[in-house]
Amino acid sequence: MRKIDEPTVSVEPMDFTDCKLTTAEPDADWERAIAKGGPGVGLSPLMPAFEDSLTAEQIAGFVAHMRGFCKEGGWPSGNTNFPRPIVTEKAFPENEFLILPAISHDREWELAGVYEQRFGKRSMVEFEVPVQRAGVDEIAIAFKHAVHASGFNIVSLGLETAFLRDTTVFEPFISAGSMLRDWYLQGQFKIELPADRAKADRAIVYNAYVGHDTSLAPTTWTLGVELNGENHELALTPQVRKGITGTGALAASIGVMLPLNEREEQGVRWVGYLLWEFLEPLRARK
Amino acid sequence: MGRILALGILGTLACAQVTFAQTGSVTGTITTSVKGRAPVRVTIDEKICGNELPDEAIVVDAQGRLANAVVILTGVKVAVAGETVLLNEKCRFAPRVQLARPNAAVRTTSKDPVLHTTQALHESGRTIFNVALPMPGLNISKPIGAAGTVRLNCNTHPWMRGWVIVTDDAAAISGADGKFTLENIPPGTYEMRVWHESLKGAPQKVTVVAGKPTEINFQLK
Repeated sequence: MRKIDEPTVSVEPMDFTDCKLTTAEPDADWERAIAKGGPGVGLSPLMPAFEDSLTAEQIAGFVAHMRGFCKEGGWPSGNTNFPRPIVTEKAFPENEFLILPAISHDREWELAGVYEQRFGKRSMVEFEVPVQRAGVDEIAIAFKHAVHASGFNIVSLGLETAFLRDTTVFEPFISAGSMLRDWYLQGQFKIELPADRAKADRAIVYNAYVGHDTSLAPTTWTLGVELNGENHELALTPQVRKGITGTGALAASIGVMLPLNEREEQGVRWVGYLLWEFLEPLRARK
Repeated sequence: MGRILALGILGTLACAQVTFAQTGSVTGTITTSVKGRAPVRVTIDEKICGNELPDEAIVVDAQGRLANAVVILTGVKVAVAGETVLLNEKCRFAPRVQLARPNAAVRTTSKDPVLHTTQALHESGRTIFNVALPMPGLNISKPIGAAGTVRLNCNTHPWMRGWVIVTDDAAAISGADGKFTLENIPPGTYEMRVWHESLKGAPQKVTVVAGKPTEINFQLK
């Protein structure tokens, strides 16, 4: 009698007890992975499709069961991990690289590089370097902590510190996100407080976003619009986001910032980002 | 009215007779000197699957007659198409080798109270579908894709293997006695090739004549 030692699956499943990996994604993504199999979320076809053999309720039950393998409390629910708007700082802590270009109608441009790294269960540190035609005259570092994240609601507090050539600007902020039916609602409120008021102005920054996915796939188009305010200047930014890779770990967004007042001062700007989620929970393994 | 209908039926039958008489058939036996393999030890779900299963990669009898070989008459298109059912039974695909028409919907089902998955792989290694069968009695239909050789795996039982030869050519599978028959073949000279999952044999020319069987045998190694 022979024994066949060939492994049944050549792709190692992820460690479902590792909370860092198993809490970061929304239930909907896991349900899709079970229903459609690996290819439905850009992963291995060795994960079979269960959509013809289990009901949606049974699949949701499996997801609830699998969430239970993470025994530590305090991790923010992946159901509050919403797609990132272009301007509004999202509340959920992420492991991401971002490039954010902005081009104004008079051909002035800015390119910001951002590195975001989670630490602890609910916190994130972020480094940002904006590059302009004139070069780099600012770097910023930010901390963010999710103070509330349950159900489909999240609130984070943060402090961004921008180091300018001649002064430092402290920018405490609050970010929040929620879901209303199939609509993402996200908002941010920030106060910019320069150490030397002669070198930079105080400002109040407020952003609000509403968006909607056109499908459940990680490659979905997400349509959204932002209201961006700084002091009395207001702009509206319609935008579209798309997952580029099968898992959605690489995504891009593009929008146009249309001034609602102070048109001369603000001008029209094309904005967007290219985003890479480098610790992609669905794929990551030890 | 009844008489006209009866005449019509008779006429149809007569035409069918004529059609039959204009075709021929090919029969033969497939043999090999290669011996069958030792049984496979079951390493999971023994209560359902048993402790050992025959290795059906080579199913050969004491006379060297080989089952599960497929003969294909290249270029002879046939329209007949029964449903192909991929049945998981006692932790094996039963039958192990089947035919299907290109892009046909094949039905996957199971009789075993155990989690099976049926993963259909194209020759390129691309997965055509992979469906889970967590309980017996489910029926899941999926398109099998273009012509070619499709391999079936079960991700939970590594010994399980099945094959679907997807073709719109006339084809037949050898039985336990190594015999095959292809009927309703228009007269002519064709190339007949033979496929087996682990053995090989050279194609042969075959001339089909109307109204009588042509015999052709294959020796695989």
